[in-house]
Amino acid sequence: MSGFPILTSILLCPVVGLGLILLTPRRQETLIKWISLVAAAATVALTGWLCFHFNAADPSFQWVENVEWVKAYGINYSNAVDGLNVTMLLLTAIVIFCGILVSWSVTYRVKDFFANMLFLVSGVFGVFMTTNLFFFFLFYEVAVIPMYLLIVIWGSTNKQYAAMKLTLYLLFGSALMFAGFLFMYSLPEARTFDLLAIKQNVHFTLQQQNVLFLGLFLGFGVLAACFPFHVWSPDGHVAAPTAASMLHAGVLMKLGGFGILRVGVYLLPDGARTWAPLIAGLALCNIVYGAMVATQQRDLKYIIGFSSVSHMGIVLLGIATLSPTGFNGAVFQMFSHGVMTALFFACVGFIYDGCHTRMLDELGGLSKQAPKISAFFIIAGLCGLGLPGMGSFVAELLVTIAAVSRYPVIGAVSVVALLVTAYYVLTAVQKAFYGPVNHHHHDFKDIGALQFIPRAILVGVLIYLGLFPQVFIGLISASTRALLGGG
Amino acid sequence: MTAFLPETLLLTCGILFLCLALGRESASRAAWGLGLATAGSLLAACVWSLGAPPETLFFSTYRIDLFSQGFKTALAGALLVVVIFSREEASGTTGKRIEYFLFLITATLGMMMMTSAADLLTLYISLELSSYSLYLLASLKADRRGAEAGAKYLLFGAATSGLMLWGFSLLAGLSGTTSLALIAQQAPVLAAQPSFALAVVLVSFAFLFKLSGFPMHFWAPDVYECAPTPVTAFIATASKAAAVAILIRLFSWTGLTPALVWVVGILAFVSMTLGNCAALVQRDVKRLLAYSSIAQAGYLLVGLLAGSADGYASAFFYAIAYLLMNAAAFLVTMEVGRAARLDNPQVSHFDGLAERSPFLALILLLSLLSLAGIPPLAGFTGKWILFSAAMDKGHWFLVLWGVLNSVVSLFYYLTLVKHAYLEKPVDPSPIALPARLKLLGLLLFFALVGMGVFPDFLIRFTQQAAGGLR
Repeated sequence: MSGFPILTSILLCPVVGLGLILLTPRRQETLIKWISLVAAAATVALTGWLCFHFNAADPSFQWVENVEWVKAYGINYSNAVDGLNVTMLLLTAIVIFCGILVSWSVTYRVKDFFANMLFLVSGVFGVFMTTNLFFFFLFYEVAVIPMYLLIVIWGSTNKQYAAMKLTLYLLFGSALMFAGFLFMYSLPEARTFDLLAIKQNVHFTLQQQNVLFLGLFLGFGVLAACFPFHVWSPDGHVAAPTAASMLHAGVLMKLGGFGILRVGVYLLPDGARTWAPLIAGLALCNIVYGAMVATQQRDLKYIIGFSSVSHMGIVLLGIATLSPTGFNGAVFQMFSHGVMTALFFACVGFIYDGCHTRMLDELGGLSKQAPKISAFFIIAGLCGLGLPGMGSFVAELLVTIAAVSRYPVIGAVSVVALLVTAYYVLTAVQKAFYGPVNHHHHDFKDIGALQFIPRAILVGVLIYLGLFPQVFIGLISASTRALLGGG
Repeated sequence: MTAFLPETLLLTCGILFLCLALGRESASRAAWGLGLATAGSLLAACVWSLGAPPETLFFSTYRIDLFSQGFKTALAGALLVVVIFSREEASGTTGKRIEYFLFLITATLGMMMMTSAADLLTLYISLELSSYSLYLLASLKADRRGAEAGAKYLLFGAATSGLMLWGFSLLAGLSGTTSLALIAQQAPVLAAQPSFALAVVLVSFAFLFKLSGFPMHFWAPDVYECAPTPVTAFIATASKAAAVAILIRLFSWTGLTPALVWVVGILAFVSMTLGNCAALVQRDVKRLLAYSSIAQAGYLLVGLLAGSADGYASAFFYAIAYLLMNAAAFLVTMEVGRAARLDNPQVSHFDGLAERSPFLALILLLSLLSLAGIPPLAGFTGKWILFSAAMDKGHWFLVLWGVLNSVVSLFYYLTLVKHAYLEKPVDPSPIALPARLKLLGLLLFFALVGMGVFPDFLIRFTQQAAGGLR
């Protein structure tokens, strides 16, 4: 579809915002915040419009944009979306909008902070819309580097270590992607980095598929926090400032899952079939190990960090089933986990700012002091443990159904592991929010109206997803079927 | 002959500076202005000569084509940058102003001749002209360390040029001519002889010396550390670009036999690994950049050993990108050093640079990320096409190793960034940047981002240049 380049417009919102911020004098902090907010709001509006006007019944790519970039290397600036991309774009827009609102309280180096946020999110938007592997890689790394600065400058708790670890892990993953992409390009039928052209023209041998898929899976798996490459993620989440944690756990990790589906499974279905049992096994490790470690944590943010590892396991398990139901569950989980974990971090960030601690032993009775923020956290917690009526419930249900029929043992164990999730979530809620008020934070104040809005939006999305899952499933199911070549 | 204008210009200005050097001390005040005028007009002449039709001069010993003129333009750009750097006298070089510019000019002349040399003798003369000028520049500082570095540079250089002469004698003996074009014609036949491969390896060692690639890298850390910073910048930019040019010429003439590919591959492997690992522990920023340049030489060799037009074109592209990002890195290093009143800033002197001068910190961030190959910067695009040329020829292991090395290199680059953005400065006074450096920084900023995001024009140019090599 030609005409108005809506995808590029979405990408341009943060880019233009970034440009304006760079031109704004350092002291105009309120103006800088407003520029970021307007840019983020514009992306929400545009992605929302995209979702409404997206033809969900059509599994092919829509809103195709294509500009020749570097002819000699088959590099095109080409964007196109299907159901998978559209939902991820929407997720990104929602999380960045809420993230900017949550960061309204930032006072240290305001200009640099918002510039980094917008730069990061441009990268994320880019990955979710491009269909050229060159730009895929470019945007991917654009999303990683600002994260380093966000953590190292505005972070807390061992931030230098965590930031370096995160960056090196993610770039290690991207190194594998880089080699994989170049290998695809070097095949005689390919000579292009265009995803769709490669899909059409190149017939990979089984051996090529196996090797390439493994490399790409490991590369993306690092970002998706796949066991045993997950170690960067809890540290990174804990050290990052609130909005960066939201973006990071909410959106950035989803790049990994998205990449496995969009590049790995889409281009190399046979490779995916070969390695699916391995992915399922690793996914189970994620689910069980993440949950077990989370039960042992005292720091509220570490609990959420490890719960993310566990929840990303569900995404991976859904992918490993290689069935439309499992894919739907995986994408659903990416979306609902993105919103949920953003809500988690938004709450914990606020609690940390007010109480100056995140340790469970030093918290207690928060629900009496601050009923609103407590309610938000508890809602996120309930979603995390898979309460029916919340987004995650549907996602976990779909993944479990698909997993049990394909890997009965793994599926069964993963269901049991969900009980562990219930245990650590409820323990955390009980210790932090109920019981007597802890003297550590006797002057803690509840959130004001401005801080109420972003969290309320996130809760609204979660409940909407839980009550009307068919709307979301409808958006993605044609595209997830097409991933395996089902048409 | 119009295409010979840049060299003529340099020669004239060189003679002018030589005459000035014989004159009175007071002439040295005008030296910078004259140097700037020389570099500026040289750049203009080079750009103008880009349109010159391909031809050979001086009885086929000198070759003018798009490739040579492209590299000459890059060299002129590097000279201009270094002259802009040299507004103030570098510490310890008092009273040698005119000589300083004279040697810069002769070194550039030598390098420009290298890119055009089409005969073994021309090649040797041009190489030595640039090398001896650089030896003198490197030891301009009158202290013990400077003298040591200069001596090291000279001794290593002399030894490699001995090896090169041996290689030349083998080449001339095997083919019966000193003309590179005639040697190239016989190369397919000669390639079967082991002595031919030996000759090519020996000759390429001499150019590896300029590129500071393993095993000819030993001089780099000391010279980088002890030479005045603008000179180091010159060695790190212009000299490297010239080395890439002549390596491309050499390989395109002699061709790459499988055995040679193995040798170059191993050298690339060791260069990358060694440079990056050694850079991890450096505290002196100029030394750090020296080890990083050893690693970068490894990346370049990976592209060169592809031996294809794509490989040569991407090496050309990367050489330009490398020139720009190193110029930016040295701009910041020099200014930080100046603010701390020393020529060798340590990593800790970068503390709080983001507060002292946000602009410099931004330039530092960009140049280092570009060196590490992070998009959307010139170094990323350069590495992408460099490695895709190598991948085309099936060198997947070297490519993978190269990318993993980039991850390692990010550790030390980011450490420097961290010092600039996170640590608290010992001396919080803002760094005032002169207008000319601010302008230069802005230009480099746009060039780095522009080459990263819109590389098409330059890629097409380099491919055209590489296409006209034979």
